[in-house]
Amino acid sequence: MTVSLIVGTKKGAAILTSDKDRRTWKADFALKGWPVTASARDDGGRYYAAVANDVFGPAVFISDDLKEWKQLESAPRFNPGDKGNEQHIRIAGAADFMGRYKDGPRLVDQIWTLHAAHGAIYAGTSEAGLFVTRDRGKSWEPVSGFNDHPNRDKWEPGFGGLCAHTILSDPKNPNRMWVGVSSSGFFRTDDGGKTWNEKSKGVNTDLGICVHHVTHDPTEPNVLFRQDHRGVYRSDDAGDTWVVTEQGLPCGELSDGHRCSFGFAIAMDRKSRSVFIAPLEGDNFRMPHNGELAIYKSNDKGANWQPRKTGLPSNCYSGVLRGAMTTDQLDPGGVYFGTSSGSVYASSDVGESWSEVASELPRIMSVEAYAT
Amino acid sequence: MIRVQVPPVLRSVTGGARTLEAEGTTVREVFEDIAKRHPALALHLFDERSGIRRNIICVHRDSVVRAGDMDSRKVDQGEELILANAFAGG
Repeated sequence: MTVSLIVGTKKGAAILTSDKDRRTWKADFALKGWPVTASARDDGGRYYAAVANDVFGPAVFISDDLKEWKQLESAPRFNPGDKGNEQHIRIAGAADFMGRYKDGPRLVDQIWTLHAAHGAIYAGTSEAGLFVTRDRGKSWEPVSGFNDHPNRDKWEPGFGGLCAHTILSDPKNPNRMWVGVSSSGFFRTDDGGKTWNEKSKGVNTDLGICVHHVTHDPTEPNVLFRQDHRGVYRSDDAGDTWVVTEQGLPCGELSDGHRCSFGFAIAMDRKSRSVFIAPLEGDNFRMPHNGELAIYKSNDKGANWQPRKTGLPSNCYSGVLRGAMTTDQLDPGGVYFGTSSGSVYASSDVGESWSEVASELPRIMSVEAYAT
Repeated sequence: MIRVQVPPVLRSVTGGARTLEAEGTTVREVFEDIAKRHPALALHLFDERSGIRRNIICVHRDSVVRAGDMDSRKVDQGEELILANAFAGG
């Protein structure tokens, strides 16, 4: 039994490998020079790593052994005639924006997430888009029902751009998927991607629909846990309605005075059905409350949360990005997260205690765990 | 023949080659030629509308050429283009 972590950083991927005990970790470094924004593994055991460079754009690398990586000749790309979102273009091209991007093109500038489902790999991108490869990366097709959503002209980007950063699927129902877009909503399809409906009823949307990340147990896919800009929520009906689930969580003040539990990362261990989040002190500060790095854990579907700090540092003023926490689905479950200051923490006891297994890495953008 | 110096981060798609040889009379034509020979490189040079990626710069005759000028910038046989990974900071 081997557990491998692909830790995507601003300057490449740290590949951390351990055995089932997950006590000692061997480190390697791959894709040097590329910001590594997401990874996934398909049913055949092939690994996919998304990269994005501000100059040379996004691409996808593949590997069958986590040692040798080869860039695919194809990548998610919009159709040449697609019109871009002006506000996204302004954010993405801020350095040289002089009005020239009005009526500009819709371009993929980053792949935010990769998701394996139903024998395919899906990619969520910014400018917000959904793409799929069904031939192991030889070609990527746009999911037109999503990319040409009838309300797309009204979609508002977050301050990081208009990005599709979360993809979830229902293993038993290939017609149902969910996609989260900052800051335009959490969308569900029930017809295989032809139509998508926004699902945020019950979520505080006073300042837009700013979903940060969503997780679920694929064996109970319609129970969803959502870390939103404006708090933590659960849905028991596939996203149709949401309720706040913040009992025990630290709350902070947002820019408009609203108090809630702010954060980005959320992950779930399927064996125990424990849910984990990494609260940050509001949208102004984006650092652990009181400088105490803590992962909060719920064993009762979000009804109550408890902090888990054993092995985590005090005087910590970095954050955990939305793609930087994951679980390995072993028994007992392993939980992993990376910080924006380059540390990786691992737990082999379902989040009860932690140890730092890598440090001094560049800013960590994504963490995924793969057991073989 | 024009020589194009490839930055280290892109050498994974050129078979490790530091320098490529290409034909063309403008920077754009040279880029199109090397993209044809190295299809994975095409993703990094051209966007969805076949425009040269807006943040790309190269050095030609000791001066910086920006993406917006590459369609018209003439290159002569025997010259060299240095494709730069234009980053700053740590």
